[in-house]
Amino acid sequence: MSDAVTVVALLLVAASATAAVAQRDPARQALVLSFLGMVLAVLFTVLQAPDVGLSQLAVGSALTPLLIMLSVRKVRRRGRTKEERT
Amino acid sequence: MNGWILAATVELGGGGAAALWGVATGPPARRLTAQNLTTSVVCPALLLLAQGYARPAYVDLALLLALLGPVGTLVFARLLSGEQVSGPNVRGATWTAAGLDAAVVVAVCAAVGPGRSMVKLLLIGTLLIGGNIIASRALAGGFRGVGGG
Repeated sequence: MSDAVTVVALLLVAASATAAVAQRDPARQALVLSFLGMVLAVLFTVLQAPDVGLSQLAVGSALTPLLIMLSVRKVRRRGRTKEERT
Repeated sequence: MNGWILAATVELGGGGAAALWGVATGPPARRLTAQNLTTSVVCPALLLLAQGYARPAYVDLALLLALLGPVGTLVFARLLSGEQVSGPNVRGATWTAAGLDAAVVVAVCAAVGPGRSMVKLLLIGTLLIGGNIIASRALAGGFRGVGGG
């Protein structure tokens, strides 16, 4: 019975990771990825590893989405300027 | 398994499933709103878990999430500025989440009792609700003049 919270966190991680893979647009993938980062932090907390959860939270909730969104924007901008040149 | 962990399980299961459904389907505006609400769902769950395990140190995770969650949402609001439109039910969802956060913080505060940890809990609640409101206002286009481009 006490494993219910672990099961819930595991199911959420599995479902959100599958959803992140199933998205086609990188920006939408980044949105699901930030959700996945937060749920992973909860899973680590439930498994009594709050130090891992702390670093996961710092990286997963803000840093990874920022990197992905910045690179998506740069790639789109580069594509746009190339189209203008040709 | 005590009542706190049971409450965290129910809260995480219901809110997490709803937030996942919102973030993985639908138009971009709804996905952004759901991503913003994820912070408001996960942070109370962490507070309840810290209380359930009787480990005050676990509250630090909730503090970090209350700080970084709105930052993440603002990153999306800033960089997705081309396609953001405010959804019809943004305000209702925001205030529902704020009420949930306030209820959980008050309940955990009542269990902890006055002291330094209660001040920390109140700080987390303030950061959480304030960040949630600021982020949802940014999603609704309130700061478009500041962050345009």
